[in-house]
Amino acid sequence: MSGKDFHPQVKQLLDGELSLADLPAALRAEGEEALRLLAVVDREPVTFPGLETRVLAELRRRADSPSWWRRLVTPREVRLRVRPWTLVPAFAAALALVLFLAQPGPTPATSPVTVRFVLFAPDAQQVSLAGTFNQWDPAATPLVRTGTPGVWSATLILPAGQHQYAFVVDGARWVADPGAPAVDDGFGRRNSVLSL
Amino acid sequence: MKTLSVALLITIAAAPLGAQQDWVARVSPEIATLVRELTSSAATRGLPIDPLIQKAIEGSAKGVPADRIAAALRALAGQLDVSAAALRRAGPSRPDTDAIAAGAFALNAGLSDTNVTDLARVSRPRHTEAATLRVAGTLAAMGVPAAQTVELVTQVIDAGGQSADVVALPAQVTAGVAHGQGVTPAQAAAGLARAAAARANAPGQQRPRPSHP
Repeated sequence: MSGKDFHPQVKQLLDGELSLADLPAALRAEGEEALRLLAVVDREPVTFPGLETRVLAELRRRADSPSWWRRLVTPREVRLRVRPWTLVPAFAAALALVLFLAQPGPTPATSPVTVRFVLFAPDAQQVSLAGTFNQWDPAATPLVRTGTPGVWSATLILPAGQHQYAFVVDGARWVADPGAPAVDDGFGRRNSVLSL
Repeated sequence: MKTLSVALLITIAAAPLGAQQDWVARVSPEIATLVRELTSSAATRGLPIDPLIQKAIEGSAKGVPADRIAAALRALAGQLDVSAAALRRAGPSRPDTDAIAAGAFALNAGLSDTNVTDLARVSRPRHTEAATLRVAGTLAAMGVPAAQTVELVTQVIDAGGQSADVVALPAQVTAGVAHGQGVTPAQAAAGLARAAAARANAPGQQRPRPSHP
């Protein structure tokens, strides 16, 4: 574009307010030049450097993404047809669930409890503990000698609830805990009982 | 993808089966067969099967002859049935397996099926039947007479006691015996029941007792 300042009537011509025939004869040549310059300016191609490269790269990126991901993220229209009466049991079930969850129920203790088992067995070579908490496995929970002669002990973390157990002395002799209540084990012996 | 899904499903389904089959290696084939029969029958009646498996393992670990293990298993299956029936008499809800097992333990400790029914009724709805029955069985195992055990637990619950208060009862009886001069478990339990009754009757402490059928 040149830096030439056109006559106001010529500017009106460029704005489409006047036609070339409306201009005075003295301004027609200036008007024709202005129109020629405008035509040249309008037809110059507009270019954005790198645009084509960026568009093609984006298309390739989308084509390379997994199909399941495209299905997941691509917006789509979902039509839901509902019979109004079917909402009644659905709302009733939701209400029942809310009321059930809101109901204050019994809260049994569930935290694990640390328990120390102690047996006085001065003649024993080895002592272990077998019970419902270790599938009655005499090898699973050995007791260790304490600083006091003849005293054996083991400390376990047990779940809350009821446990039955017995000490196993020297791998063969099953002994109920003298410091705990006991019940008949069904085999003619006694099992100690621990309620946590 | 399909192969992976099927393999995952098989793994998930097989895991509990594997865990359940561990006990078979701990017992003789004869006892394993009996346990399978008893647990299958128990499961169809809604009874817990774990106590039966535990008893079979226990007997084998103790070196008990197979015929005595079989007798103990049948006796335990009978106690589970009695416990379930006693719990059903306590109310309309179907007893859960934990409560049935706890009831069987209480029966083994010396309580009657009527005691089990009464304790289940007093437990509802604030306490779990299983916890109450385990505590009651433990008290009975300590030497507290059955009627007194039921009275103590009932008094504590009626006085507004929480689950922790009920669970603490065996330890409180033990402490009472340890600190008293020649106090028996029955006497210690009687003292705790009197204290609970006093709390329940104190002004502002009374709460409506649920009506039991």
